[in-house]
Amino acid sequence: MASKRSAFGRDGGLQARMGLTLFLLGLLYAALVGALIAASASAVIIVAIAVGLFFVQVVGSDKIALATLGAHEVSASDEPQLHAVIERLCIQADLPKPRVAVIESRMPNACALGRSQKSATVCATRGLLRLLDDPAELESVMAHELTHVINRDVMVMTIASFFATIAALIIRFAFFFGGGFGGGDRNEAEAIEVVILVSVAVYAISFLLLRALSRYREFAADRGSAILTGRPSALASALIKISGTIERIPRNDLRTAEGMSAFFIVPARAKNSLMNLFADHPPLEKRLAALSRLEAQLQGTGR
Amino acid sequence: MGLRDILIGRSSVKPPAARERLFALSTAYVTLETSYEITSTGVAGIVVQALATSDFLAVLKDTEEVVKATAVEFKATIETTDDEFGFHWVIVRDPGIEDLVATISGVSSSIEAGGYGERILCAVFAFKGAGGAPINFIYNYKRGSWYPFVPAPGDKQRNTERELQLKAQIGNELPIEPELERWFPLWGVPF
Repeated sequence: MASKRSAFGRDGGLQARMGLTLFLLGLLYAALVGALIAASASAVIIVAIAVGLFFVQVVGSDKIALATLGAHEVSASDEPQLHAVIERLCIQADLPKPRVAVIESRMPNACALGRSQKSATVCATRGLLRLLDDPAELESVMAHELTHVINRDVMVMTIASFFATIAALIIRFAFFFGGGFGGGDRNEAEAIEVVILVSVAVYAISFLLLRALSRYREFAADRGSAILTGRPSALASALIKISGTIERIPRNDLRTAEGMSAFFIVPARAKNSLMNLFADHPPLEKRLAALSRLEAQLQGTGR
Repeated sequence: MGLRDILIGRSSVKPPAARERLFALSTAYVTLETSYEITSTGVAGIVVQALATSDFLAVLKDTEEVVKATAVEFKATIETTDDEFGFHWVIVRDPGIEDLVATISGVSSSIEAGGYGERILCAVFAFKGAGGAPINFIYNYKRGSWYPFVPAPGDKQRNTERELQLKAQIGNELPIEPELERWFPLWGVPF
């Protein structure tokens, strides 16, 4: 890389954790596939359904999510400031310009959707645009969202959860058909029981792993924002403002948004979840600590 | 960005492309002036994402001094300013287009030599058409390509028709960005 001093150090730890999580998921899924092959026949139907679901998810998920969130696309003349901030970030990130949408909600938040760089949409809520009057803060939040686009997080998470979806389907089938969805002889019945047990285990463990992966990708997006804008502290300041405001917003507004939490820059919950293991976002303090390490590296006072 | 970078979520900022294409403007200008009556206003600026670190500020200061020293030969003047988005502009004024391009190139190579090439976004050269209407040519450092940007009357409006005409007129001589969704407008140009 051409830059010698301005470069941030490598976060080998984060990348190693992400790699390990992906490896464990792969291992887990290999076990499921093995069990499915052992049970053969009836499993084929389930896999076919899952592949169908997968394509619906890949092709349609962003449109469904946009509609669910109540986001509407805005032109450059509707939201000149937001567009101008995103345009400059796109030059810096060497990205084609994504679609820009606004969600008419008081809750300050932002999200990125779309399976590829060309079909990406970045959204900001009205509350966010009002709250972040400093362009540097808005820029850092949008840079976080654009990093999700660059890292293809929607695609990665969709693919990573593919086999978890299969496992969930198998469990559901087993529940409906009382465990015996194939057949006749005793050997096959036993094989199916094994498949169901493996599916339950895969589903439970992959749930935890996927949540961990989601948290790591949030850290990676924070880091990407800092690298893109060169202003880690602007993102820290924006995160403090956003989560402080979310806590003051009435719970009614929050509940409607909670289902879509994984898409947002800050989870739509009044309190951090009781168990960090189940959270799709890392706790605020940890994100702020990571950003302050980046600022120290930038200023040349860090490790 | 490779598959591995995507999987582990590693980010980096792209350094500038090779800079020969910046100089294509000097030759393209002959055609612009003689065939289309588009003349230089003698102003150009380079946009840099400012970092609030002492090291970066020192590099900027060195750049300014080096360029001021060489600009004396060209009779160019240099000034710097920050815009509403927190970006840093180095503005060069020189009646000759070749000197203008050379001075802008000097600014960017000095920033690159300081280790901050990845923080350079683009350079803007201001022209005016036959009727005096403003026309900008923007050089994107990351991609090493040019595109026209013609502001239209009204708040943040652009004349896309004119931009596409310009592409057809000068596309053979100036390496124009092929993807239209990367023709980013630049508002708040401080000159």
